[in-house]
Amino acid sequence: MAQFHLEMKVNGKAIALDIDPGLRLLDVLRDILHLTGTKEGCGEGECGACSVILDDELVDSCLILAPQAYGREVITIEGLALNGELDPYQQAFLEVGAVQCGYCTPGMILAARVLLNHKPKPSQQEIARAISGNLCRCTGYAKIVQGVEIAASIKETKEGVSRA
Amino acid sequence: MPEYSIIGKSVQRVDGPRKVSGQAQYAADLNIPGALCLKVLRSKVAHALVKEINVSEALKVPGVVQIFTHADIPGINSYGIIIKDQPALTNKVRFKGDAIALVAAQDEASAIIALSLIEVTLEELPPIYDVKAAMREDAPAIHDRGNSISAYRVKKGNVESALKQAEVIITGSYTTQRIEHCYIETEAGVAYMDNDLLVIKAGTQNPHYDRRDVARVLGLPMNKVRIIQTTTGGGFGGKLDISVQCFLGLAALKLGRPVKIAYDRHESFISTGKRHPFYIDYTTAADKEGKLSAVKVRIVGDTGAYASYGPATLLRAAVHATGPYEVPNVDIEASCVYTNNPFSGAMRGFGTPQMAFACESQMDLVAQAVNISPVEMRRRNIFQKGAVTATQQKLDASIGIGKTLEAAWEKALQVMPGLGDENI
Repeated sequence: MAQFHLEMKVNGKAIALDIDPGLRLLDVLRDILHLTGTKEGCGEGECGACSVILDDELVDSCLILAPQAYGREVITIEGLALNGELDPYQQAFLEVGAVQCGYCTPGMILAARVLLNHKPKPSQQEIARAISGNLCRCTGYAKIVQGVEIAASIKETKEGVSRA
Repeated sequence: MPEYSIIGKSVQRVDGPRKVSGQAQYAADLNIPGALCLKVLRSKVAHALVKEINVSEALKVPGVVQIFTHADIPGINSYGIIIKDQPALTNKVRFKGDAIALVAAQDEASAIIALSLIEVTLEELPPIYDVKAAMREDAPAIHDRGNSISAYRVKKGNVESALKQAEVIITGSYTTQRIEHCYIETEAGVAYMDNDLLVIKAGTQNPHYDRRDVARVLGLPMNKVRIIQTTTGGGFGGKLDISVQCFLGLAALKLGRPVKIAYDRHESFISTGKRHPFYIDYTTAADKEGKLSAVKVRIVGDTGAYASYGPATLLRAAVHATGPYEVPNVDIEASCVYTNNPFSGAMRGFGTPQMAFACESQMDLVAQAVNISPVEMRRRNIFQKGAVTATQQKLDASIGIGKTLEAAWEKALQVMPGLGDENI
């Protein structure tokens, strides 16, 4: 099969690869780039475990053909912690115990990040809507919603400090 | 309250930082260069004898390394937590999804083509999907031992005479459905030989039991099998059973090469254990004040093609059938029965959620019949200090359920305006 020349940015780094054009973005991330923080749960866009950020939008990477990412920027869970220091979303999830088995966690954290980029102080309902495409079977969601609220307040404090 | 250094303090989970940063390695995340891909051929019919398996065409597919069937099992071809009744690769199909052959190939695409080229000759048998039909004397036996696996009885007092004297008798039939655990991580694993030691890394809740069953199926001494539990993406009881472990062990042992397997969601749904569907006939007797005098309960649990944790689940169902209420006269029987449905095993609550549905529904109906509120009905019967359970255990220490009931009622009144208006 003819190869597709894929160029994209992943977690801030420029990537150029020749790939089978039938691959999903999920396959390229996991199998070729070994970014296994992005999980496969259902393979049909129901569970959100494979969520990544594509140009500021939350997408299911199992429903995106890799060539569709051409020229675009992808952020995965591995792109959040800078120099090994956890970012506010990761800190908040740990603090409130929003993580149990952890399999949905990367997708949840990325969903939270997209939400807070657009809406720095979301209501509980807005948080619930923002994570409605990400299934968790362990927690019952209460701690996750709380985690997003705390992430919002940590971000606010940090941004306030950096502005001052 | 004294201030403690540990008690009452939150502790950050040890694996938390790895999980929030995407560094935690679940089974499907493990990458062994050169590992062969394994795929399982599963039955599309529910009940049949496997007469012949022809793999010659499938073996010609480029990339296919080996295909295994029941004839290749080096040890005893049966595993199971309570009853060793489930074959790793079967010569008798007992449910849609039973494993018939295992393909090892260099890549997934070749393995999938090979699956479609394996020719299986089956002699189909009439499938039994209904537990009551499976219990009939003339029902075809799904296993040699017959379809009724075990029955448990809990008896206390004299139910028949209590029923004669009762002022209120409510009888109901309840059925509960099969439920899939649906942990977000599907089953997966890798295996390799470390000299003569077989190493299997898999998502599991039960590495020690896995080790015992893998050693049995492969004919290895226990000290030649090592099971390493990888970070596990949810289980809820569903990862207590063997899933991928024997396939991984068989291929790694026979081929001497690293292997990897990962179920997709479809395969996870069709091949793994479920919550037991229950068929419950429940009779409750009480006086006109709503004080319980007797219960008589008959429970049948559909454990499907294999026992898994079925016998223990039905034992729990029998023991918990009266709920948190004191009943002086009790007659309970619970049976665990094979059918040709997907097998049922452990799932959160282990048979008690099904019983709570029946028991609490009965409590509501009795409350209605004697014209008291549902919460008052429970107050009058809830376990107090000194109560004797259905299994004759005297609860002579702390009993928190009454306090819990009142706290729950108080909270309900706060969050559900209007509730309690009907209370008397």
